[in-house]
Amino acid sequence: MSSSEVCNESVFSIFFRKNANALRNYLYYKFGNLSQAEDITQDAFIKLWQNCADVPLEKAKSYVYTIATNSSLNVITHEKVKLKYQKRNTQNVRIHENPEFLLEESQFKEKLLKAIEKLNETQRVAFLMHRIDGKKYSEIAEILNISVKAVEKRIHIALTELRKEFDYFK
Amino acid sequence: MEKNYKLSKWLNGEMTKTELNEFQSQEDFAIYEKIKKYSSELEIETDKYNEEEMLDKVISSKIKLNKTKPLYKNWFLKIAAVLVIGFGFFLGLEAFSEITEIAKNGKQNVFSLPDNSEVVMNSGSKIEYSKWNWYNKRQLNLSGEAYFKVAKGKKFTVNTNSGKVTVLGTQFNVKSRNKRFDVTCYEGKVKVKSTKNEVILLKGQTVSFENNKMIINQSVTENKPLWTLNEMKFEKEKFKNLIQEIEIQYNISLKTYGFKSEQLFTGTVPTDNIDITLQIIASNYHLKIKKINENSFELVTSR
Repeated sequence: MSSSEVCNESVFSIFFRKNANALRNYLYYKFGNLSQAEDITQDAFIKLWQNCADVPLEKAKSYVYTIATNSSLNVITHEKVKLKYQKRNTQNVRIHENPEFLLEESQFKEKLLKAIEKLNETQRVAFLMHRIDGKKYSEIAEILNISVKAVEKRIHIALTELRKEFDYFK
Repeated sequence: MEKNYKLSKWLNGEMTKTELNEFQSQEDFAIYEKIKKYSSELEIETDKYNEEEMLDKVISSKIKLNKTKPLYKNWFLKIAAVLVIGFGFFLGLEAFSEITEIAKNGKQNVFSLPDNSEVVMNSGSKIEYSKWNWYNKRQLNLSGEAYFKVAKGKKFTVNTNSGKVTVLGTQFNVKSRNKRFDVTCYEGKVKVKSTKNEVILLKGQTVSFENNKMIINQSVTENKPLWTLNEMKFEKEKFKNLIQEIEIQYNISLKTYGFKSEQLFTGTVPTDNIDITLQIIASNYHLKIKKINENSFELVTSR
């Protein structure tokens, strides 16, 4: 009968909900265009769904990432990755922080965003997958099709690059 | 090697206690700590897209869920493509091909051209035209007789065996049968070109050629052809042509057994009453009418 669980609609839906957002984010970190990232994500999942019979569930993730990565090669316009900080809902904390600290904090955050923008693509992608999507190094390695060591190296370099931007903060 | 990537170990909480202690004592630890803290608060600067909507689109992208689907789908698409292309080709051909309008003997035919110009065809007539590029090249081929109400626009041309009529938007009648060519202008201006002559007709003027020779160039009083009002008007018409026209109008057979007359016929006969029509002809040429049946008559010399 159906040769892969992926063809089961509920299995597929669970898989989609688990991975679609991270895939879109990954594409966004790569070239900074959100609507294109979403289009490519959708197309990749459509391909998976259409070829579900040929893709075992354990290969499905690398399948969508491979397809999405390949089609992202055609994306010519690379834009700046725009990030922001989540709104803190703990108002009380702020009240007790002194104004000087708050000013310093907002300056630092501003600076950090600029520094991330400046990172090169490979470091930025690995760093943001870890920081925003909470992916483990092993997962990142699998997605990017590189070794865990290589991921560690990219993250390490990303951190030292970011660190350089804050010399005056010492 | 591993030492080099200690920052990533730290970020992932993998440092040993001693490593951590050492790192914490460093001057820039505070900065790394902040980077770690604030970067965990980051998110993409857009509202979350509608994940469920995308899932619906993905799910509904697949029509069928069985193993033979790709082949079936391909075949289906191939057949569909052939049909679509074939149909398109057919439509294309229709646009390019000539359209023929016919008014059979005893019948008139009214139709509109692509620009809404109106054509009333008299019995026993044929018009050919092409829809393709009609607005740029308004021209048609006529054999027989037709009355045109031409919409304003580019040059409008009627081609016949005996000549050409060109106008810019007007009402006119063209008749081209045998070697005779009649054009009457009811409105506007009409240019008539036979092989040898070129005449400009104004409102209410008519011109006739026989064997490329102009035989009539005069005025008419009607404001539309009489045949559209169930009457036939003849002007210096040969007996032979007269008989033929009556045959065409009534879709009958009218035998005259070789009766010849040089007398040209000028006058009007109805197109909806065969008895009156034949009486007019008979009395004019001193002939007797013999009715064979509903559709067959003979005119014989009364002597």
